[in-house]
Amino acid sequence: MLSYFLGFTGFLVTLMLQLSIFSQWKILSGSADIVLLYVIAWSLYDRTKWMWIMLLIMMGMVSLVSALPFFIPAIVYLLVFWASRLVQSRVWQTPLLAMFVLTFGATIVQILLTVGFLFVQRADINFSQALIEVALPALLLNMLLAIPIHALVRELAFIAFPQGVEE
Amino acid sequence: MAISGYLTPIFSLSVSPFISAQSWLSQRYLAFSDFFNSPLDMATLSSENQRLENEVAMLQSEVVALQENLAQADILYALLDFARTNPDHEYVAATVVGREISPYLQYVIIDKGSNDGLRHGMPVVTQQGLVGRIDALISNAARIQLITDANSAVNIKLQTAQVEGLVRGSVTGEISLDMVPVGTEVQLGDVIMTSGLGGTYPPNIFVGQVLTMQSKQNVLFQTGSVQPVVDFSTLSAVLVITNFEAVDISPLVP
Repeated sequence: MLSYFLGFTGFLVTLMLQLSIFSQWKILSGSADIVLLYVIAWSLYDRTKWMWIMLLIMMGMVSLVSALPFFIPAIVYLLVFWASRLVQSRVWQTPLLAMFVLTFGATIVQILLTVGFLFVQRADINFSQALIEVALPALLLNMLLAIPIHALVRELAFIAFPQGVEE
Repeated sequence: MAISGYLTPIFSLSVSPFISAQSWLSQRYLAFSDFFNSPLDMATLSSENQRLENEVAMLQSEVVALQENLAQADILYALLDFARTNPDHEYVAATVVGREISPYLQYVIIDKGSNDGLRHGMPVVTQQGLVGRIDALISNAARIQLITDANSAVNIKLQTAQVEGLVRGSVTGEISLDMVPVGTEVQLGDVIMTSGLGGTYPPNIFVGQVLTMQSKQNVLFQTGSVQPVVDFSTLSAVLVITNFEAVDISPLVP
């Protein structure tokens, strides 16, 4: 129960920080998504059976505050969950490397889905501008922030799962 | 004789050694006294210094808080001023409390919702000009689609050129001018106002100024870039126009 409480509290704090601070930290027009980074990091350390239910609640909350359609965070978070389980069983000795790999992959998938959604909605998109001014800076910021977010979540996971955290 | 001053040199000569001696003695005594009392003074001074430092820190934090309040009050006064000079509309003031997670979308979250009389589609402005419209809301918060969003399109008119056009947002948060007929003389710096066409926004709200214009061959319309009048990166308080009902024309769109 403690793990669910800590995991969800951490998620809420991250969401609030994202909405109030990190959405305004920009390189060109790209900003970091620390909510995604938190979900990735928590998925890497989670040992609970019902993580997917917490994931559903997280998706719901992100969809509530974000203008992104529900299916984008749903697909990305479920992919992260699946990939983290896969990574845990194979490269569990190097969680930071796993964090980087998942951050890179999840950010790319999220960007592709968002651009695809905007394209379908006939939004005014200049693809090269979207790549250079938004996607690449956002990816860079996510990769940079992956280290501190991973370190913070790791500390939280030590409290939540005292027996089961490998490093 | 003493009064007349004849003995003054004699007095001076005789007293001066005593004064020198007294001075020497006094200085030595003070030095001696300081030597024994200084630790006590140091401790007192140190605690006094600490107390004053604490007080300075407290006052500094108070100054920062007051400056914040002053800045907020300035914004609110400006909004109030705008509301007074535009009495046709009814306004609800709101504070921006959050921004969109995705860098591709340009939305902000405000601290007022349906409980405060806000409804979907209501236009949002600041004292400078148009901000956007309400896209989604719950009882005590609302999400505003900014005019810089890639899915946003605002029907506008150019004040000097007296033609209508469209202002579109983009994924980078810049806005551009479109659908201006070829052959129209558009001056750089021309003021862009909402036209009211389409029923999404009320007419005559300031949007921005023309920055550049491009006219390509074999196209029907000119395009250009726009300098928005609102600084969206520092948006902290907005006014929602509550007595304007946006017209939903989506059933008419084929």
